[in-house]
Amino acid sequence: MLSYEYVKCTDLNQVFQLMDKGEQVYPLAGGTDLMVGMRGGKYAAKMLIDIKGLEELKVLKEDEKGITIGAAVTLNEITLFAPVQKNIPILADGCHSVGSYSIRNRATLAGNICNASPAADTAAPLCCLDASVNIVSSSGTRAVPIGEFFTGPGKTALQKGELVQSIFIPKPYPQAKGVYSKASRTGSVDLATVGVAVQSWGNQVRIAVGAVAPTPVRAVSVEKAVNEKGEKDWANAAKLVHNDISPITDLRGSREYRFHMVEVLVRRGLEQTMEV
Amino acid sequence: MSEKVNINFSVNGDQETREAVVGQTLLKFIRDELHLTGTKEGCEIGECGACIVLLNGKPVNSCMVLAVELDGQELVTIEGLAKNGELDRIQQAFIDHAAFQCGYCTPGMIISARALLDRKPSPTDEDINEALSGNLCRCGAYQEIREAIKASSKK
Repeated sequence: MLSYEYVKCTDLNQVFQLMDKGEQVYPLAGGTDLMVGMRGGKYAAKMLIDIKGLEELKVLKEDEKGITIGAAVTLNEITLFAPVQKNIPILADGCHSVGSYSIRNRATLAGNICNASPAADTAAPLCCLDASVNIVSSSGTRAVPIGEFFTGPGKTALQKGELVQSIFIPKPYPQAKGVYSKASRTGSVDLATVGVAVQSWGNQVRIAVGAVAPTPVRAVSVEKAVNEKGEKDWANAAKLVHNDISPITDLRGSREYRFHMVEVLVRRGLEQTMEV
Repeated sequence: MSEKVNINFSVNGDQETREAVVGQTLLKFIRDELHLTGTKEGCEIGECGACIVLLNGKPVNSCMVLAVELDGQELVTIEGLAKNGELDRIQQAFIDHAAFQCGYCTPGMIISARALLDRKPSPTDEDINEALSGNLCRCGAYQEIREAIKASSKK
């Protein structure tokens, strides 16, 4: 059995104190990545600080500025939240694609992005929605655009002593169709071999792709062709995604397969979301 | 040097106070400390669903929860479904429809199915697929499991 300390935190100041002074201190929310990672030797935790009881992190609300999703809110809670279903269903799709139903009763959005898998199902939708990550520490708060949050596989912009408090999706909402589609070896539980989010913003489109680069990335070449040059041949536009990615071969698929599938899913996404 | 923590919780309707070792999973705690061995250990990485229990009414993989996290929570295991010696409707339906062969996945399947029927008394095929998305049956009894759930649904 692994040996470490466990502290059930009751307020954020306690969290900051423990994170500032200790080494190998990990925040525990849903734990669905952390448990596997610790057992597999990825994390050598000396202390787990349980943050899921903190009221500040349980916030799930919509106000005049947008939607705020606290770090302790589970993926199933997000999928069922009416303002998400109505205004940003692409995020509900992304949340719904993670793991299985029972995993999503524990797993959180903040955990999914902090784990920073290049294949994170929620990351590509967030990249299409201009989301930002609210980070807190003993020295204050800062907001990081989702596009700058991921810095490499398993790496984020979080510094020592910092905690993700919430994820914010601003208004205006897209008011148009968005789809998240995923190629994976099994219908559920498996990570994405390729994940593609395509969000229409009227006559403009935003596209983000996962599992084909060290971090989730925007398909800027495709976006430019459609948004600036008026490309309406979706098959032609989708080919350009190859300029934006650098996939690897791993157990889920070869580099060549990923090149192929990402193009297919971008084309289908454009067909489903952009009218012609 | 494994630290122990006192935890208060309810299990299958009974209030309990126990010591839990930090680092022990809820799955091990249920089997080795509470001696409720209906909950099964399969993959231990949250993929198979053999260890699913109800935590505050929601199905979760007990291999991915720490025993210490049980403090203040409400736990229901497969042993908690039968009341006064009477099987729960969904348990009887699994027997009536022969919804298993080896039976190893069955406790997790039944817990997931019970939770589904609690939130959606008349589930569609799609609802069933979603609810059981984290439950693997390597004997391949999926069709019979679906029939058992349908038979337990409100018409």
